[in-house]
Amino acid sequence: MNKRFLTGLLKKIAAFSASLFLLSTAVFYISRLAPGDPLISYYGDRVEKMTGEEKEAARERLGLNSPIYVQYGKWLQNAFKGDFGISFKYKQDVLEVISQRMGNTLILGGTGFFIIFTGALLLGILCAYFEDRWIDRFLQKAGTVISCVPEFFLSLMSILIFAIMLHMLPSGGAYDVGKKSDIANRIQHLILPLSIVVIGHLWYYAYMIRNKILEETRADYVLLAKAKGLSKVRVMFIHCLRNIFPSYISLMAISVPHILGGTYIVETVFSYPGIGTLSYESARYADYNMLMVLCLLTGAVVIFCSMLAQAVNERIDPRIRAQQVTESSEVIKI
Amino acid sequence: MTDSELFKLAGIKEINKAVPKKKRLCRDFPFISAAVLAVILFSCLFAEILMTKDPAYLDLSSCNTAPNKEFIFGTDSLGRDIYSDIWYGGRISILIGFLSTLISTSIAVIYGAVSGTAPKWLDDAMMRFTEIFLSIPSILLVIFIGAALGKSNILTLSFIIGITSWPSIAKVVRTEVLQIRQSEYVLASKCMGANFFHILKNHLAPNFISSIMFMVVMNIRSAISTESTLSFMGMGLPIEIISWGSMLSLAQKALMTESWWVIIIPGAFLIALLVSITNIGNYIRKNFNQVESNI
Repeated sequence: MNKRFLTGLLKKIAAFSASLFLLSTAVFYISRLAPGDPLISYYGDRVEKMTGEEKEAARERLGLNSPIYVQYGKWLQNAFKGDFGISFKYKQDVLEVISQRMGNTLILGGTGFFIIFTGALLLGILCAYFEDRWIDRFLQKAGTVISCVPEFFLSLMSILIFAIMLHMLPSGGAYDVGKKSDIANRIQHLILPLSIVVIGHLWYYAYMIRNKILEETRADYVLLAKAKGLSKVRVMFIHCLRNIFPSYISLMAISVPHILGGTYIVETVFSYPGIGTLSYESARYADYNMLMVLCLLTGAVVIFCSMLAQAVNERIDPRIRAQQVTESSEVIKI
Repeated sequence: MTDSELFKLAGIKEINKAVPKKKRLCRDFPFISAAVLAVILFSCLFAEILMTKDPAYLDLSSCNTAPNKEFIFGTDSLGRDIYSDIWYGGRISILIGFLSTLISTSIAVIYGAVSGTAPKWLDDAMMRFTEIFLSIPSILLVIFIGAALGKSNILTLSFIIGITSWPSIAKVVRTEVLQIRQSEYVLASKCMGANFFHILKNHLAPNFISSIMFMVVMNIRSAISTESTLSFMGMGLPIEIISWGSMLSLAQKALMTESWWVIIIPGAFLIALLVSITNIGNYIRKNFNQVESNI
């Protein structure tokens, strides 16, 4: 048992590293396809003042003249030492800049994620319990409309209504000037972005959970339980919910990129200092060192989450093997 | 009474007649959404008839005018007439939606079919690749590729959105192809010397088209949505190319001057379009899922 667990773990780690390696290769090649001069991302505006010889020397020193796979090898070597280069915009080590912003995104995304999945489960159960009754229909209609609204537009509307017309909440940022450690102030700044992240995703997942439960209620064992005389509540909560749990967890895993993407957009609109705003800025200012690490970081988080979900699922439901989880996630992912 | 008479007395149990399928299809059909979609599509297609002003003309003497008789939907901070821009810009938004869906669907169908018919190791590798592809939030990927390609226009933007949104369709295509690739008719076709594209077109596609139809429709929706998000953030279409997204990129400025019409009117059209596409997509999906509940 223990040995099997260990080999499983090793296999997972190997798959994780392989995925990350492929991801970094792809990202590196794309960023080198960029039309801009990579020298600019190292030296900034100073490049314009450099003479041709100086430029050539700099290229040679940075290894930009060697073929792209040699450059990639070099980058990889440095990356293993924890050196991902310098952010052109911030003139600081990339990891340093990211670590300053990381916490903010984790708070926004993490809290959002938690609320979304609690809320989605409750809403899903509610809708499934009252299938095709008015409350289900109403929620379905309202949910479809709301989930169609692009996040940036929801954010704009909320700023327009709550910040500009009603003057109730601040329109952006993570805290007011000079109130960095004031928790109440931070929470005030978090309300709008957080509600947009939640509203933007809630129905999408609630609807999937609703459909999963409904699919489950069509199974034969439900008919049996019903025939035994169990109540509807009991069948739904004790029997059906248990069975949708694995899909719930894999749903959580594949939702990570989706919710993260949404968080990034919301952050940008609210100019909330997090990873999302950072990636947007680095794309605008062609800060490729930064952008690469951000893509890698996000990819790593997502791959890690999906592997975690797979492991948890195999634990709680022995019928599920890796293959089946990916199969079920295909149906869910749009 | 004999047995047969008894039988006649009770008669044959009347079976509930199934509702004719055609009738139900009609009842569920989202007529309002289809109508809204048709109105928007046709108005954008024939924008020239509806436009009252030159959409690109910067009327600097009347910037930020609230809706009035001359400017039905008001003007934006550059002095462009929003009413004319809506129809003119909608054309580009919808065009990008269709173009990028065309690109992504073609990639997805070919990729999925190749993966489904390929030997196991290649199939595994290809699927691993799609998983990695799906692991990055698509918005980040779009921003990244967009930054690498430089200043965007309609074609590059559709290309970017197209090549980032194919993996989920490709996965469905592959699953379907895996199920039918061993069928006799595919085998027969192969024996008669048909090439890959012939089999794809005549034997595989008719089988998976219904299961990807819904995703293709939803893809149009998300492409339009992505275009507007990108243009809003200033990473998509520049302000000179009028689309609903680039009209909304003036929203941040409009927030400061409290000119709500600059934000709400293009947004309302965008949402109306997205909602009606979604409803039609859901209608397509629902018609493949009709089982009675046991509870």
